[in-house]
Amino acid sequence: MLRLLKITGDSLTPEFKEGDFVFVSRIPFWFHSPSTGEIIAFRHPGYGLLIKRIQHTTPKDGLFVIGSHPASIDSRVFGPINQKDVIGKVIWHIRKP
Amino acid sequence: MIYQILNKLDQKMHIENAKAHCDIPCGIYDPIVAQISALTVVRMLDLMTEFEAKTPDRNKEYMNSMARYIAVKEEHAERAKAEIRVIWGDYLKAQHLEKYPNAHALVHKIMQLGSKVRQTTDREQATQLVDAINEFAQMFWETKGIATKRAKAPYAPALELVYPAL
Repeated sequence: MLRLLKITGDSLTPEFKEGDFVFVSRIPFWFHSPSTGEIIAFRHPGYGLLIKRIQHTTPKDGLFVIGSHPASIDSRVFGPINQKDVIGKVIWHIRKP
Repeated sequence: MIYQILNKLDQKMHIENAKAHCDIPCGIYDPIVAQISALTVVRMLDLMTEFEAKTPDRNKEYMNSMARYIAVKEEHAERAKAEIRVIWGDYLKAQHLEKYPNAHALVHKIMQLGSKVRQTTDREQATQLVDAINEFAQMFWETKGIATKRAKAPYAPALELVYPAL
């Protein structure tokens, strides 16, 4: 329902930085499907628990996710992810001071 | 305030990490390989100087041993440069560069010294390479909030290196 996660890595800088905390939840997706621009946490079979921004949706419930950094490991490397792998949308972001 | 509470919670309960990684998400960076490589360059120069002094004949045995010292010197100078380039290019981010505006100039200096020690047998240049990489190591550990200490390497040439004080 609600998960607290800590961010590692810099692929979403400057908005999300290493050490920030986020609360993620699937509840928003009870009311609408994941959409462009939303920041989501998801599980990838190879890379584990990742956090990225949805760039666009693809046919068959796919989500193309990207980071802000050009060297980000994201859908440009591993392709679209499946909506069933989404853990939730970031609903609260607590920045590292 | 909220951050401090969550941080304490993380220290006790280890909150799960969500990776926002670039490149392959291993996160393993350490300047120690570059530091030891630079030290190896100095060591090879010392061995070359000793060997030259005690070997009067410039025969094929001499050439063979000297060529081996030079090959190791070449390899380690290049390794030191490569290791620093990876940390500079993959690890250092905009926020680090804002805090350490000298980082680019320092890396450039290391590249130049790394080339110089390949081209010459100047020990002074090699110790400058060790010093410059130590300065880089100091900066690197500071970006991670890890204190450092200076200690002599426990092997020849026993120059001072910067280590994380863990």
